[in-house]
Amino acid sequence: MNSRERVLEMLQGRQVDRIPCYSGMGNVTLAGLEQYGYRFCDVHSNAGMMADAAASSYKLFGYECAVAPFDLCVEAEAVGCSINDYEAVNAILYPTIREKISEDLDQLLAYPLPADVASRGRVPLVCEALRLLRQDIGAEVAIGAYVLGPYTLAGQLTDLDKLFKLTYKKPDLVNAVLDRLADVTIAVAGAYRAAGADYLCIREMGATTDVLGPRLFDKTISPHLKKVSAACGNFPTILHICGGTNKIVKEMHGVGCSAISVEAKNDLHKSRADIGQEALIFGNVDSYNVLANGSPEEVEQSVLRSIEGGVDAVWPSCDIWPTAPLANLTAMVETVKKYGLEKWVRRAV
Amino acid sequence: MATEDRTRELFEALKQGVIDFDEDAVRETAQQVLAEGVDPYRAVFEGMLDGMSEVGRLYEEQEYFVPEMLMCADALYAGLDILKPHMPKNGGKARGTVVMGVVQGDVHDIGKNIVKMMFDVAGFEVHDLGRDVPLEKFVEEQLNTNSDLVCLSAMMTTTMIGMKEVISAIKAKNPNCRIMIGGAPVSEAIAEKWGADGYAKDANNALKDALRMIQSLKEI
Repeated sequence: MNSRERVLEMLQGRQVDRIPCYSGMGNVTLAGLEQYGYRFCDVHSNAGMMADAAASSYKLFGYECAVAPFDLCVEAEAVGCSINDYEAVNAILYPTIREKISEDLDQLLAYPLPADVASRGRVPLVCEALRLLRQDIGAEVAIGAYVLGPYTLAGQLTDLDKLFKLTYKKPDLVNAVLDRLADVTIAVAGAYRAAGADYLCIREMGATTDVLGPRLFDKTISPHLKKVSAACGNFPTILHICGGTNKIVKEMHGVGCSAISVEAKNDLHKSRADIGQEALIFGNVDSYNVLANGSPEEVEQSVLRSIEGGVDAVWPSCDIWPTAPLANLTAMVETVKKYGLEKWVRRAV
Repeated sequence: MATEDRTRELFEALKQGVIDFDEDAVRETAQQVLAEGVDPYRAVFEGMLDGMSEVGRLYEEQEYFVPEMLMCADALYAGLDILKPHMPKNGGKARGTVVMGVVQGDVHDIGKNIVKMMFDVAGFEVHDLGRDVPLEKFVEEQLNTNSDLVCLSAMMTTTMIGMKEVISAIKAKNPNCRIMIGGAPVSEAIAEKWGADGYAKDANNALKDALRMIQSLKEI
């Protein structure tokens, strides 16, 4: 089985030969950029560079995917926000939103969302990168893309402080806004799929229980994620939420994606007990403290803990932090290859 | 003049109003505080800030989350708007000067705003640089204001690294300035490693630490 088959067969519910090591989030590394002499701030706005950087993780250390884009502003930009690219700053800074659509949620509700949102901003550029990736390495590895969940997108388009309070005080207003934003997520997801993405990660980090209570998750977050997941049909999807997720893991599973992905804070044994043996759970190697700043030995131990905790694919907790040393990334992939069948809890059950 | 029992009753009502994020109740009680000649300074510290400490505890125990915390802060501000004009200005002298902001690349400022509120209430002179602040701006502002303290905040791992640079740049120019860092990805260990003087787990601890740091600075 090659990486592509391993990743996609599993997402479609079929048996595979071992746990794969990949992700649905950013996988750009400085090691990869150096190969091409690219600057970090440039890869977000050039399809060829984006594709090269995304493919380099497979080429350099055998990561079993290539994922585009690398930043979180694509949808907000397509809706109409301007972004900061930190072109002049000599540091790794991801693009951020410069200007919100409106500080006011009522105005965001009334704002005319562009019908052709999937042809705006950098969506076509990301699509082009996905097409290039498909041509380059698509026969061997699965090509992934990600979108923001409606709530996280709302947090970019309007004042976050007000959004949080209104989620509590005026859930109907928030639900009405999120229902519209789910259409944006769905349109962008459709464009990525048409461009050649094999699977889609839905990132709803704004709704982590570190920020929002579990009761609100059920009331205002789940319904819209369900809408997105249902609209994706047989396009494989993975729902990723960072921070503490044990209190909402049943709701995450209930969204109906092909799999869920959780970060290092999640107690995997509890999650498995909560959602059962059939569910696919991906995770949860700490992408900063371990992958970027730990030793290869610590990476190996961390990967083993995830596998023994019962994951079905080893995913970093978040985007790979670009400074992660090649030795650590190699250790992650090699440990999965070595133990991905022998220690796979679900396979053994 | 209210009796001590009545005074306590009003403080309790302020505290509960903040905890219940009931802005109207807090406003009404704050008016009563003034009408009955109760010390507004005590009302803030023994009433509303006690409430905010309890909110901090509820947050830690995951009874409350960010939306609840923000609503409690609104209730506190509602009371403060009424009481602050009547508070003695601490002899005209601020308890300390603080420069604060969220480091470049990061646009999440909710945590910083709550910490700012605590410093405001406690009588600090606050220079708030906002969010997505270029690193050199912190150094400049510290030198311009000669602040006792600089507070740096980051909500994302990807931006927290910028703090390291700010800390060494400020310490190089002004070794006496105390620096505190905070935000979701930050830890005590990171603060120590990067040479910060303090790490604040939450707004209450930020204020306590700041007061302690400034005290030690003034004893030198």
